[in-house]
Amino acid sequence: MVVPTAKEFIDVTLSKTQRKTPTVIHKHYQIHRIRHFYMRKVKFTQQNYHDRLTQILTDFPKLDDIHPFYADLMNVLYDKDHYKLALGQINIARNLIDNVAKDYVRLMKYGDSMYRCKQLKRAALGRMCTILKRQKSSLEYLEQVRQHLSRLPSIDPNTRTLLLCGYPNVGKSSFINKVTRADVDVQPYAFTTKSLFVGHMDYRYLRWQVVDTPGILDHPLEERNTIEMQAITALAHLRAAVLYVMDPSEQCGHTLQEQLELFNNIRPLFANKPLIVVANKCDVKKISELSEENQKIFADLSTEEIPVIETSTLTEEGVIKVKTEVRSDSRRARSDAPACDRLLAQRVNTKIKGKKVHDVLNRLHLAMPSKRDEKERPPFIPEGALNRRKAMEVDTPKRKLERDLEMELGDDYVLDLQKYWDLMNEDEKNDKIPEVWEGHNVADYIDPDIMRKLEELEKEEELKERAGEYESDEESEDEEMQEIRSLAKQIREKKQLLVLESKEKDVHGPRMPRTATKVEKKKLEKEMSNLGLDMNDKNDSHYALQARRSRSVTRKRKREASAPPTSKTRSQSASRPPRDQSGLRDVKMVKKAKKMMKNSQRDMNRQARKGESDRHVFDLKPKHLLSGKR
Amino acid sequence: MSGLSTARRDLISSVTVSKKVYDVITISRPQNEHIELHRKRHGYRLDHHERKRKKESREAHERSHKARKMIGLKAKLYHKQRHAEKIQMKKTIKMHEQRKTKQKDDDKTPEGAVPAYLLDREGQSRAKVLSNMIKQKRKEKAGKWEVPLPKVRAQGETEVLKVIRTGKRQKKAWKRMVTKVCFVGDGFTRKPPKYERFIRPMGLRFKKAHVTHPELKATFCLPILGVKKNPSSPLYTTLGVITKGTVIEVNVSELGLVTQGGKVIWGKYAQVTNNPENDGCINAVLLIISLATMSATSWFGLRFLAFISAMAHLTTCVFSKGRKGTK
Repeated sequence: MVVPTAKEFIDVTLSKTQRKTPTVIHKHYQIHRIRHFYMRKVKFTQQNYHDRLTQILTDFPKLDDIHPFYADLMNVLYDKDHYKLALGQINIARNLIDNVAKDYVRLMKYGDSMYRCKQLKRAALGRMCTILKRQKSSLEYLEQVRQHLSRLPSIDPNTRTLLLCGYPNVGKSSFINKVTRADVDVQPYAFTTKSLFVGHMDYRYLRWQVVDTPGILDHPLEERNTIEMQAITALAHLRAAVLYVMDPSEQCGHTLQEQLELFNNIRPLFANKPLIVVANKCDVKKISELSEENQKIFADLSTEEIPVIETSTLTEEGVIKVKTEVRSDSRRARSDAPACDRLLAQRVNTKIKGKKVHDVLNRLHLAMPSKRDEKERPPFIPEGALNRRKAMEVDTPKRKLERDLEMELGDDYVLDLQKYWDLMNEDEKNDKIPEVWEGHNVADYIDPDIMRKLEELEKEEELKERAGEYESDEESEDEEMQEIRSLAKQIREKKQLLVLESKEKDVHGPRMPRTATKVEKKKLEKEMSNLGLDMNDKNDSHYALQARRSRSVTRKRKREASAPPTSKTRSQSASRPPRDQSGLRDVKMVKKAKKMMKNSQRDMNRQARKGESDRHVFDLKPKHLLSGKR
Repeated sequence: MSGLSTARRDLISSVTVSKKVYDVITISRPQNEHIELHRKRHGYRLDHHERKRKKESREAHERSHKARKMIGLKAKLYHKQRHAEKIQMKKTIKMHEQRKTKQKDDDKTPEGAVPAYLLDREGQSRAKVLSNMIKQKRKEKAGKWEVPLPKVRAQGETEVLKVIRTGKRQKKAWKRMVTKVCFVGDGFTRKPPKYERFIRPMGLRFKKAHVTHPELKATFCLPILGVKKNPSSPLYTTLGVITKGTVIEVNVSELGLVTQGGKVIWGKYAQVTNNPENDGCINAVLLIISLATMSATSWFGLRFLAFISAMAHLTTCVFSKGRKGTK
C-alpha cells in the first residue's frame, strides 16, 4: 500500500467526503437533521483518516517483532530512531484527529442554526487537515522506506545459507553468479555490489541460499559506512557457512597481508560457523606459485582446520568442489570437507542438541528386520542395472535409437510403432486390423482378457449343469394346483376355438361389442345356465330388481322431447336413471327442479349468451347512450 | 545421540524444516536496484527517446484540455491551484528579467536627504509626532483605549440565551440556557437544578484559548483565568460568556515574561478575535502596550492591580467609562 504524500492524502480524503456523504441541505430543515448531516461529514472524514493511518501503522513492520537480522538491517539502512519517530508521529496525528472529531461532534450538538453547524464542520475538517499537513516529512520518509523495503532481497534467516565475504573485487559476485541463477552486477571497480543479494542453488535435494555481501574494508566498526554495515549485519545474524574469499593474485588492489589482517579482525564474527577460505582467481595465480610467506599463510589456515579451496570463477574449476558431490563415509571427520556438508552436519548437530528433535525422533523408526535364520540374503541387483552401470563407466555403444534411424533415413523415415508390439505370433505384427465388421465396431468388442473369461464361463456352465441347476422341478406342485392348471388350459383352448368360430361366422363385418348393446334377460339366463351356474333365484337377482325399478321411472315421463335418444337408451344399461330424474322423489320435486333450471337460463337467453361464461359484448358503444352532446 | 546412524541423520536433516517457510521460487526475484541494472545492461528501447520527447510536448495540450473541460468543485480547486502556480512562475520570470535590466535603487538615498528645492522645509516630522500626541490625549479624555477590536456587534439576549421551558405543562419559562461559549472557574459547582436560572452546558465550557502575541507573531495555547469584560452586557460578564470582542485574562507564565523589577508576570489580558461558537476554539490577541503608542501622559490611564503571588504588570482596557461597547 502506497504511503500518500500529505497533500494527496488531504485532497483524496476531502473529495471522498464530498462524494460519499449527502450534499443537499436546506435552512428550513429540522435542526436535528441539519446537525446530523454535518456531524456525519465530520465523522466520515475522521473515519477515513483514522483508517488510512492505521493501515500505514500496521503495514510497517515493528522492529521488535521481526527477526533480529532484519531489525538490524533496517536499523543500518533507515536508522531505527528516525523510523520509530516517524511512525510515532503518525500515531500521534491519528489520535489528535480522533480527538478533534470528538470535540467538534460534541459542540455540534449545541448548534442551533445551519450557519453555525456549517462553520463548525468547516473548522473540524480544517483542523484535521492541518494536523496532517504537519506530517508531510514523516509521510515522505515512510514512502521512501517502503519503496526500499519492498526491494530488499528475501533472505530466510533460518534456512541453510552460504555467506560470501571478503575485500571488494575479490570475486564474490562472480561466484554467486556461477553457482546460482542470481544475476549480480560484476564490474572492475570496487563496491559494485552495494547491498545484499541472494541466490538459490540445489545440493543434495535441498535448497540452499547463497548470500552475496558488499566488500568490507579493514577499519574499526565505528568507522564503517552503511554499505559495509550491511555485510557485517549479515555476518552477525545469519547462521550460515561463511566463505571468506581471498585473492592471492592481488588483483583486487589489496595485498595478501591486508586480506589476512581483515580475516583476523572479523574472526570473532565467524564463531560457531563453518568457515571455508576460498582462494579465488587461481587461473591467474595458484597458491603454489606464490611466495614463501604467502604460502605459509595458507598453510597456517589449513593447520587451524579451516579448509582452503582454490577456485576460479572464470574457468569454473574448484567451484563445485566447494559444495562437493563426492560422498564419503567419514566426511565429517575430514578437515577439508567442504562448506555445504559441514554446514549440514552442524545444523543436524544443533537440532539434535535442541528440544524439538525428540518430537521427530520419537516418530521416526528405522525398522531393521531381525534375522530368522542363518541364510545369507545379500541385496539383489538385477543384471540390467549392473550392465548399465558398467556401460556408464566404459561408455559402451547404446542400442540404435529411433532418432538415429530418422537421421539415417532422412525424408523416407516413417514412425512405425507396430514393430515393438509383443504378440504371441510374431508374423502378425504388420497385419492390418479391421475397424468395422458386419455393422459392428470391432473396437467395442475388444477385450484383452476375452479368452480367459470365455474359459471361465464355460467351466462354470459345466459345473452348473453337473449340479443339475437346469432341471425343472415338477414335484413341488400339489394336486389342487395341477387341477387348476388343467382347467385353465381347457378354458384357454375353448376360448381360442370360440375366437376361430366367430371369425369364420363374421359375415356382417365390424360389429358393436357385446357390452355396447343391451343384453336381454333371457339370453343372459340361458348362457349362464349353459355354463353351469345355478339360476334358481333369478327373481332376486340384481338385474331383475334394476329392471323393475327403471320401468317405473320411465312411465312417468310425458314429453317426448326430453326423452333421451334411442341410441343413448341402448347404450345405457336399464339400471341407471337419467340425470334429470335421479335424486328426485316425486312429481312436485321434478317440477321444481325444472322450474329452477328454466329460471337460471332465462337471463342468459335474454342476453343471447351461449352459456354462463359467455361475456361477449355485442355493442360496446351503444348509440342510444352515447349520441348527443356531452 | 552420537550413535545415530547416517541414515537417520539424513532423515532428520531433511525432515525438520524451519517453521517459517519463505516463498522461494526458482526464478530470481528482482532485488535492490534492478531497474537501474537493467538500464545499464540493456539500454533503452529503440524508440524511447522519441516517445519521451513527444509525451512531454503533448503535456501542454493535455493540461489545457483538462483545464477547459473540468467542471464543478474539482475545477474550482484546480483553477485556484493553477492560478497560484502561475503567479509563482510570473514572479520567477520577472526576477530573471530584473537581472538583465537596470533599475533605480531606492536604498542608496539616505534618510533625511532632501532634494535641493525642498531644503527649507523642515519640521514636518516633528509635526506628525505632535499630532499623534494630541490624538492620544483626546482618546484618553473620551476614555477609549487601544484594543485590537474597538467595535463589536452587540449580542442580544435572544441570541445568547435560549429559553428553556419547564413545568408539568411546559408553561414555565424562567430558565435560560447559554448558547455561546462560556468559561466557568475551577471551583465551579452548579446550583441545584431546581433553582438554577442560567444553564451553562458542559459541552460549551472552554478552559484554553489560543493567544497570539502581536509582536512576536507567535500563538500559544494558554489557560483562561477569567472573563474580564464582555462588551455586550455585564450580565454576560458575570456569567462568563465569551463572544467576539470579550476581554479575558490568560495565564502567561508559559511565556516567561519578567518585569523590570524582576518579578514574573503570570496573568495578562487578551481580546477574543473570533466567534468561538462557530469555530470551536477561542482565538485571542494579547493586549500589550507597544513602545510606539506609549507616551508620558498615557501612564495615568493605567491601573495596576496587585495579585496574590507577585506584583504583576497588567494592562486593563476599558472601552468606555460608561457601559455599552458599541457605538
